[in-house]
Amino acid sequence: MTDKREKILGEDTVLFEHIYKTGKGFYITVSILGGLVLLGLYAYITQYQEGLTVTGLSRQIFWGVYITNFVFFIGISHAGTFISAVLRVLKAEWRRPISRASELTTVFILMFGVGSVLIDLGRPDRMLYAIRYAHFRSPLLWDICSITTYLTVSSICLYLALIPDIALLRDLGEKREWFYRILSLGWTGTESQHRRLDKAITFMSILVIPVMITVHTVVSFVFAMTIQPLWHSAIFGPYFVVGAIFSGVASVIVVMAILRKAYHLENYIKPIHFNNIGIFLMAMTLLWFYFTFAEYITIVYGNEPIHMDIFWSKISGKFAPLFWLHFVLCFIIPLPILAIKKYRTIRGTVIASISIILGMWLERFVIIVPTLTRQRLPVEQAIYIPTWVEWSIFIGCISLFMLLYVLFTKIFPIVPVWEIREGREKAVSQVGERIRSYLPDDKG
Amino acid sequence: MDMYDGKKIIPGLLIFLGLVTYPFWHNGVSGKTGYVPKPKLPVDKKECVEPKDYIRVNHKDLLDDWKSSAIRKGRRTYVASNQKRYTMSLTRTCMQCHTDRAEFCDQCHKYAGVENKCWDCHMFPKEIKKE
Amino acid sequence: MELKRRGFLTIAGLTLLGLTAKPGWDIFSKVELPEPSPTPERLAKKKWGMAVDLKKCWSLEKCKDCIDACHRIHNVPDLGTLKEEIKWIWPVPFEKVFPEHELEYSGEDYHQKPVMVFCNQCDDPPCVKYCPTRATWKRKDGIVMMDFHRCIGCRYCMAGCPYGSRSFNWRDPRPFIKKVHLEFPTRTKGVVEKCNFCEERLNRNLLPACVEACKEKALSFGDLKDPGSDVRRALYHRTIYQRLPELGTKPKVYYIL
Repeated sequence: MTDKREKILGEDTVLFEHIYKTGKGFYITVSILGGLVLLGLYAYITQYQEGLTVTGLSRQIFWGVYITNFVFFIGISHAGTFISAVLRVLKAEWRRPISRASELTTVFILMFGVGSVLIDLGRPDRMLYAIRYAHFRSPLLWDICSITTYLTVSSICLYLALIPDIALLRDLGEKREWFYRILSLGWTGTESQHRRLDKAITFMSILVIPVMITVHTVVSFVFAMTIQPLWHSAIFGPYFVVGAIFSGVASVIVVMAILRKAYHLENYIKPIHFNNIGIFLMAMTLLWFYFTFAEYITIVYGNEPIHMDIFWSKISGKFAPLFWLHFVLCFIIPLPILAIKKYRTIRGTVIASISIILGMWLERFVIIVPTLTRQRLPVEQAIYIPTWVEWSIFIGCISLFMLLYVLFTKIFPIVPVWEIREGREKAVSQVGERIRSYLPDDKG
Repeated sequence: MDMYDGKKIIPGLLIFLGLVTYPFWHNGVSGKTGYVPKPKLPVDKKECVEPKDYIRVNHKDLLDDWKSSAIRKGRRTYVASNQKRYTMSLTRTCMQCHTDRAEFCDQCHKYAGVENKCWDCHMFPKEIKKE
Repeated sequence: MELKRRGFLTIAGLTLLGLTAKPGWDIFSKVELPEPSPTPERLAKKKWGMAVDLKKCWSLEKCKDCIDACHRIHNVPDLGTLKEEIKWIWPVPFEKVFPEHELEYSGEDYHQKPVMVFCNQCDDPPCVKYCPTRATWKRKDGIVMMDFHRCIGCRYCMAGCPYGSRSFNWRDPRPFIKKVHLEFPTRTKGVVEKCNFCEERLNRNLLPACVEACKEKALSFGDLKDPGSDVRRALYHRTIYQRLPELGTKPKVYYIL
C-alpha cells in the first residue's frame, strides 16, 4: 500500500497522510467539536420552541449577535476568493499551497453566514417565502441572489481545482476508490485536459471577483439603505468589502497555521508564505483604518445631533469599552507586528490575525447595535446583553464549520498536490520567461 | 435455489416486509378499520357556503383564496355558486356555524393526520374559556 | 439483457405519462370558484388620515382610553417588560416626539406632556421597501397593511421604520392577552405587528377604536380627500406638526397644538 503511494506521490506523500492516518488528536478534536455543535443545536431547539424571547434582544435592539454573525461570517468568506482567485489572476505563485485551504474556508463559512440569518428569523418555517413571494426591492433579496451566486461559483472553483487530486486518489486505489472515480470525471492528466482545466479555473476565478465585491457590498446595503443615523452612509459598501477581505485573510492565516502544525506540512506552508500574506494583511490594516477614520471624521465634523448621540455612545458612552477594544485589536496590535519584519514570523502573523478576527467581530457588533439604541426612537434605556442561547449558537456555528473542515481533510488533500507539482515543473521556468519578457530583448 | 445464508436471508426479508407494511395491516388486525370520523354538523344551519361535496374537497383552497383576497386584495365579499353573498372570513363566517373545533374540524383532521396552522391565531369561544 | 433504443424510449414514454397523468387530470378537472366581487369603489378612492389634537388630549390627565380600546379589540398582549412589550399606540413625552421644537424660550409648558404615537401610515413608507416577502405593503386607500400569514419575522421593517412604530412577538402572545376578543385573530410568536388604522372596522363603516373611545374627541379620523371629513375640518386653519417630516416619509398622522 505505502509502496504504491510512495511510487505515485514521491516526495509529496506527506500531503496525503492526513487522509490515511487518523491519530488520537483527530478523535479528540472531533469529539470536542461535536459536543459544542450539540450544545448549539440544543440552544437552537430551545429558541425554536419558545421564540426569540430566549435571546437578549428587545423591542428597541432587535438585531444583535445573529446579524453580527451574519455579516462576520460572510466577511470571512472573502478570504478564499482573494487568495485563490485574485492571486491566481495576478500570477502570484506563493498562493499555491494555500489556495485550497482558503477556498474551502469560503465555501463552508458562507453556509453559516446564511444560516445565521435563518437562525435569526421569527418564523423560520416560512423561510422559503422569501423566494416564493420574493420582493426584489428589498436588500435582503439582493443578498439572497448574490450570496447564492457566490456560493455556487466558489463551489465550482473549489471542485475544479480538486479534480486532478481526486484523480490521484483514484489512482492510489485505496479506500473509497469508487467515490474518487466518479468525482474525477475521467481525468487522465493529459496536456489538453490541463489546458482546458486551466482555462475553466481562470474563467471562474475572474468571474468570482466581481461577485465577491457585490456580495459584501450588498450585505452592507442592508444597513446603508435604511435612513437610520450612522447606517445611512455611502462608505458602507467599500468599507464592508475592505473589512471582509481584512478579516477573511486573517482567518486564512489562522487556518494555515493550524493545518501546518496538525498535518506536518512545514515543508509546504513555509515562513515565506506567512511573510507575504502578512505584508498584504498589513496593507489591509492600513486600508481599514483609512475607511474607519474617513467615516468617523465626517460624522464628527458635521456635528448633527442625532448622529453625535450615537457617536458619543461609541467613543465615551455605553459602547466605549467595546469600541476601543475593537480599535486596539484591529489596528494597534496588528500593525507593529505586521509592519516590522522581525515580528512578521509565523507566530507573529498568527497573533495579529487572531487579534484581527476578534476585533472585526466587535467592529460589526459596534456598527449594528449602537444605532439601534438610539435610532430616532424616544427610548429611555435600551441595553443588550446576549444570552447563553446566542453564545451557544455562535460557538455551535464555529464548531460545525471546523468539524466540516476537519472531515473534508479526511477525504481530500488540503494542499493542492497538482498545483505544487505544476509549480515545481512548469511555474519556475514560466516565471523566468515572464521576467525576461519585461526586460529589453537580447540583440542577436 | 442455492443461496448462501438462505436460512438468515429469507426470515430476515419476511420480517422486513412485515415491518414495512405495518401501517397497512395494523388497523385490520386491531379492529379499527371500521372507524369513520363523525364531525358534528351545526343543528340550526342546513347549508354551508358551498354544497357539502364541493366544500368537503375544496375547503382548503377556498380558505386560502379567502385569506389572500381579504387581507391582500381587500375584497371581502364572496359570491357563492348559488349567488348568495358571504363575508370572506374564517372567524366571522365559518366559525359562526362551526363553533367547536374539537367536534368538527379536528374529527377529520386528526384522523387523516392533516395539520393546519389556522388555530395558531384564530380562536373559538370554548378555547378561551379553557385558558 | 440489452436495452435497445426502442425499449428505452418505450419505458421513458410510459414513465412520463405516469408522472403527468394525475397532475394533468387535476388541472382540467378543477372546478372554478366563482369570482369574488370587487372592492366597493368608495373604499379604494379614499385616503385615510388622522389628526391628534394635543390640547384636547391633555385636558384629561392619566387617560388611557384609546390605548385600552385598541389593545383590547386587537388582542395586543400585555407582556409587561420594556424588552418584550408590544404596543400599537402609546404616549411619548413631547420633547422626544418633536425634538426640533423650540421649548426653552416659548414659555409654554409642553415639556413631558404625553403625545399619542402610532404607525404614521406614511405615503412613502420605508418599512414597505425592506420587507423581503411583501408581508407589509401600502394599500390604495393609504393604509400600510400587515399580513401576519406571510411575515417571516426578519424584523427588517422594524429597522427601516424611523418612528419605532412596530413591535415583534418575542414569544407566544396568547397567555398574556387579558381578555380575548374573538373577532380579531391573535398573532403567533415570530411575527411583527403594528397599528393598522382598524382596517377591519373601516370595512364595516366603523371608526377606528381609538377615535371612538376618546372622550375628549382629541382624535379625528377621515378621508383626507374629502374637505368635509372630520380630519380635514380638525386641521383647517391650525398649525400642523408632523413627526420627522424631513425624512420624506410623508406621514398621514397630523398633530395640532
